[in-house]
Formats: sequence, C-alpha cells, structure tokens
Amino acid sequence: MIFRFLQFRRFSHRLFVLFVGLLGAALATTYFVVTSTNESNARENARANLELAARLVDSAIKQRIEFLVGSAKVMTGDYAFKQTFSDGDARTLSSALVSFTGRVGAPVITLYDPDGKLLANSDHAMDNENAGPFAFLIQQATEKDLTQHSGFSYLKGQLHVLVVVPFYAPYPNIFGWFGLAFPLDREFVGKISAISGVELTYVNVEDPDQPRVLATTLPVAGTAPTARAAAAAKRAREARELRPETEMVALPEERYVTLIRFQEMLAEDYIALVLQRPPTELASARDLENAIKLTSLLALAVATLLVLFIARSVSQPVVALVGHTQRIARGDYVVRNQDYRADELGRLSLAFDDMARGLAERDRVRDLLDKNVSPEVAAALLRDGAILGGQEREVTILFADLRGFTTLSEKLTPQELLTLLNRYLDRMSAAIEAHGGVIDKFIGDAIMALFGAPVAQADAADRALAAALAMEKALVQLNAELAAEGIAPLAIGVGVNTARVVAGNIGSARRLNYSVIGDGVNVASRLQSLTRTADYRTNVITSAATLAALREPTKFTARPLGTVPVKGRAEPVEIFAVE
Amino acid sequence: MPRFLLSLSFALLLTAARLTAAAVVQVHVTDAKQSSVADAVVSLIPLDAAPVFTPSTTPVVVAQQGQEFEPYVTVIVPGTRVNFPNQDNIRHQVYSLSKTKPFEIPLYGPGTEQSLLFERPGIVALGCNIHDWMAAYIVIVATPYYLKTATDGMARLVDLPPGRYRLEVWHPRLSGEANREVTIAAGDTAQQSITVILKPDRRIRRAPDGAGGGYK
Repeated sequence: MIFRFLQFRRFSHRLFVLFVGLLGAALATTYFVVTSTNESNARENARANLELAARLVDSAIKQRIEFLVGSAKVMTGDYAFKQTFSDGDARTLSSALVSFTGRVGAPVITLYDPDGKLLANSDHAMDNENAGPFAFLIQQATEKDLTQHSGFSYLKGQLHVLVVVPFYAPYPNIFGWFGLAFPLDREFVGKISAISGVELTYVNVEDPDQPRVLATTLPVAGTAPTARAAAAAKRAREARELRPETEMVALPEERYVTLIRFQEMLAEDYIALVLQRPPTELASARDLENAIKLTSLLALAVATLLVLFIARSVSQPVVALVGHTQRIARGDYVVRNQDYRADELGRLSLAFDDMARGLAERDRVRDLLDKNVSPEVAAALLRDGAILGGQEREVTILFADLRGFTTLSEKLTPQELLTLLNRYLDRMSAAIEAHGGVIDKFIGDAIMALFGAPVAQADAADRALAAALAMEKALVQLNAELAAEGIAPLAIGVGVNTARVVAGNIGSARRLNYSVIGDGVNVASRLQSLTRTADYRTNVITSAATLAALREPTKFTARPLGTVPVKGRAEPVEIFAVE
Repeated sequence: MPRFLLSLSFALLLTAARLTAAAVVQVHVTDAKQSSVADAVVSLIPLDAAPVFTPSTTPVVVAQQGQEFEPYVTVIVPGTRVNFPNQDNIRHQVYSLSKTKPFEIPLYGPGTEQSLLFERPGIVALGCNIHDWMAAYIVIVATPYYLKTATDGMARLVDLPPGRYRLEVWHPRLSGEANREVTIAAGDTAQQSITVILKPDRRIRRAPDGAGGGYK
C-alpha cells in the first residue's frame, strides 16, 4: 500500500522524500532522545534538590526540637523554678512559663505532672483540650521510657511540632514534664525556602475533597493547584497506587517540579508537605532543545536545497535525454548533448550520442539502400542481414527497354540525356512499384523488375502484366509532356516471363546485390527484345508460363504470336502480346 | 526436784522457746535476667501487730564525697536524723522535691555538716542542684525489719517474730511494685526469692572532672 505512495513520477520527488525523510527522521529521533534525556535529567536534578530541601526541613525541625529540649533542661535546672513547681502555685508557674517563652523563643510552653495532667501554661488560650496532644506524647514517652518525645499536631487549629521533656528531681526521677511547641507556619517554611530555593507548603489532606493549606511560601494563586496535587497524592497513596517520585504541577506562572511527602501526625490523619521548584533546571534543557530544533530546521532546509540541486543536476540531463530520445524517435538524429560530465549520466549522454550517431548512420545507410535497392529488398536485408545464398522460387520477371535510345543520345547533351533518362526511369519505376514490383536493377536505359521476390506474391503474374500496361500508359503521359517541351516521343518494349529462378544476394563479400538468376530471366529479356519485331505490333510480350500463372486471366487480353526459339533452350517459347 | 519434773519443765521451756523463737528470712533479689540486684531495700512489715521501731540514736550519715552522695541508698525508720557532711573541697546543695520530705539545704561549704529529721515513711530522692549527676535515696520504712541487699543480692533478716508480714522490695530503678505476703513460723529459716523488673540504668554519666581533677 505504502509503496504505491512511494512510486513517484519524478526522480527529484523520490530523492527528496528519501533524503529529507531520512534526515528528518534522524533529527527527530535525536531531538526526542536529547529532550527526553534532558527532561529526565532536569527532573532528576530538581528531585535531588527537593529531596535536599525535604531533608533540610527534617533537620531544621530536629534542631529546633533539640534546642527546645536543651532549653527545657536548663530551665528545670533552675532551683527557683523547681521550688515554684513543687509549691504547685499554678498562676506563679504560668507567669514563670511566660518569662521562659521569652528566653527560649518557643511560643508555647506548658507544664504537666508525671501523669500528663496540665499544671500550667504560658498561653491562657491553651486549655486542657489543646493540651491533649502533649498528654498523649507524655503517655507514649512514659510507656517507652523515653527521655524526650516529639510529634506533629494541631494546637489551637495551627500546625505545630510538639516536644515533651521530663524534668528530673534529681535524675532519673521524673517529677514533671515540659511541653513545648513551635508552629510550622509561614515564617518557618519561609526560612527553609530562603535557604533551599524550594517552595514549601503544608497541606491538611484529611478530606481530599477539601484540602486545606496550612502554611505556604507560594503566592495565593499557586496554593489551590498545590493543595489539589497533595489531595490527589493522598488518594493515590491510600489506593496504594504507584506514584512517580516527582510530578509536574501547573501553577499560574509555570509548571513546577513537585515532590510530596507525608508527615505522620500524633492523633490526626497525616498531612502533606509539598516541595516545589520552578523548573529552572529545565531552562537550560529548554535552551538546548530550542537550539536542536533550530539546527534541525536549518539542516532540513539546507538538505532540501541540496536535494533539489542534486535532483535537478540528475533529472535535467535525464529530461534532456528524454527530449532527445523523442526527437530521435521522430527521426531527428542531429541533436547532441552538450557537456559530458564525469559521472554515469555523462557516460549515458556519451553513449546516447554514440547511439544517435549509430542510428543516424543506419538511417543513412537505409536511405541509400532504399535508393539503390528496392525498399522491400532493403527491408529484407536489414531484417535478415546480408546473407549470401539463395532460394529457388517462382518469380515473374519484367524487362523494359527504351527503344531508339541510341538515336536520342546523339541529339542531346549528356546532361539533357541523363535528365531525360532519369525522368523516364522515374515514371516507369513508379508504375512498377505501384503494382508491387521490385526494381531489381537499371541496366542503362533498361529496367529489370521482379514480382514475387523477395516477398512472395500470389498474384505476381497479374501484377507484372498490370505494371507493364501501366508503363505503357505512363509513357503516353510522359510523351505528351515531352511533346510540349519539343522533345521527340519515347517508345518502350516490355517482356514478362514467369519462371522458377534462384533468388538471393549475389556478389562478393564486400558488395552484394539481391537478384535472381536463371533461364527464366533470359527468356524475359528475350521477350522484351521481341517487341522490336514490327509484325507483332505490340509493346508488351509475355510467355505462356506467365499467362498460366495469372489468377484472373480474364482481366487481360492475350493475342497469341506463335512460338519463338530462345537461345539456350531446346523448346521454343509460346509468346503472347498483351494489350 | 524429781527427775521427770525436771524433764517436764525443760520440755515446757523448750516449747516456750520454740513458740517465741526468732525466725530468719533470707531474701534473694534478682532482676529479669536472674542477676543479683544490689542496693535493693527489703523490708518486712508485720501485719498481725503494729510494728514497733526505735530510731537510731546515732545519726545516719549521707556524705558528699567526690561529688557523689555516699551511700546511694540509705534505709531508715521514721524519726531518724540524717547528717549530710560535706567532705569535698567544693560547696554542695541538697534538695528533694519528694512529697515525703520536700526540702532544700542551700549551698554549704566544705567540712561543714547539715542534718535533717525524716519523720514520715516514704522515699526521698536527693539531688544537688548544681551537680545533676548527684543523686541518692533515703528510704524511710515503718518497720524494724529491713535491710539493703549486698552485691550478691542477698538480705538476711533475723530476729523475726513468727507471724504474717508484707515483704516489700524497693529499688531506685524498680518498675512497678514488688511485694508479697509471707507467713513466718517460729524458728524458721525461710528462703524468699523475688524477681524485680528494673528500668534501664539511666544515671547521668558524670561530666569529666574539670574542677581541679585534671590538676591532681
């Protein structure tokens, strides 16, 4: 099917499709491979950056926790505080905790008894309900005998990292617990973002239909698609679907490489930490892609021009050759190609010209042949080649002779004589050929013609006699013309005989002549000379053999003239005048 | 005195002696790995009669020595006075936030001594506010029958009148409680094995001795 499309009417089209198609395919493949490699490299780079930022977040949180733990330890070391704690005056304790928030920089500091019961806090809004996550941590730490514990939870609806630190009096007697917390808010993600260059967003994905952004570094417009991406990731995670490590999320300005991490919470459902990076890594890849695109188009354009040039350089000589061939077919051999190039086409042109020359030569030969031998003989010669040899066949031979030519020659100049003779021969030849006769040869003013050779003719005898009568008629016409020119009339004698003769190419190896030989030829010649006999009163004499060979004898009137002896023949020949 | 009378009275005496003869309880304290536990406080609290005990007339000493309390665990009965002599060349503070006996002895100098009276039974964890690694326990038991296990985990309680007791074991790292009721017959030598579950040893590793130790 496709090959039908690939069958071109023009070579240049084929070359164009092949060359430009291959180049285009190669370039497209290169482009695809390079861009996909670049893209995956860039994404891998971006992923590494995002992973690093994720670790930075973990590390920052861990450091903050360590700092709070350390601070808590220092605070508990304060004996005045121990005493205050031991006295159990909640209001004094709470005010002391407020002073600690200033020292430590933790916005939330709470105190619990060893069982996790809230004793005091730095924030009056922090009720027992909000203290729940701390109590949970304390319970876990007690069960697991931990010296500190931390976790993610909401405090007053805000995402916080909670830390619980026991205080000892003395170590390892746990006398109470410090509960400290710091929010994962805009300020926190902003700091990490400033260091890592990564956009950070905490998303509450408890209800994937209504993801809620908790803290983000993104401008407002970018939060909605980010929250949706986090929700989708949560759904995929819960469906245990395989997710790519990073994905592309379309924010208003551009597509961001996005990494989503999930963070366990103390009691609530986990939250998503979305790390995003504008695809700066992709920028260089895009540059390369554009460069390749441009180069490819340029290469294709150059290739197209090149192909057209090559195609033209190939097809033009071919088109010229086609034209020449058509002219040669019409018989015009003179055209010649101009410049012969060194390549195959040049050789083809050269060969073509040789061929044209050969054809011209052949045509010339054939023309000459046509003039020198009859067209039938020429055709047979060209067909069968000049073969010496012969075949015996029945042929009707016609001999015609101009009577009184010798007297005529004395009155005319040689030029005039030849002109007159040719004029005469031309008319006679026309009459013979019109009846399918073949001029065998001119012998001076005499004509020898064959009927039934070299091409066999069933009605050769009929044709010969008809030709003889036509010659007479043609001569009457010629004489009328000559009379007008003041030239004496001409007279002819025609002898027609039918006999089995040998036909073939007769001559030397260098020069051949198609002719017939045999007794019948002499008889025909003899019959012709008999027309001079005045008693016979006829210009055309034929033999009984010819009359016998006639297919339609009724068309001719044969007047018997008796028998005549013929030289070289024992039997006399019966002759007839044809009128 | 007829011979049989003599025999009879001897037999009665013997019987009486047997009836009132003091028993011995040998307690072996092991941990979950069957290792002997030292510094475990073993006490037998009489259940049949109110225990009678008298505080020691000579003060019990918990010294500050080499920036440690010595001994680590001290067992006393209520009403005992404990002296805290500072035998170091630096100052120390002693405090406890325990409910049994919350107190603070502010910093006091080398060579001096402070003392406190412990009146209520319970456990008092001692600390020094300026040396976090310093910790000691005073265990106040309301019974005359108590003892600290030695390194072999053994505590041999003697002179026990027969009767029902609650055998209590306490250790600074004890997880939960360890006690059982035991009945002691006169003149018995009872073996008691108690397995306790201990929390990991979490004593603060003492900071390298920077305050002079390096120049000794």
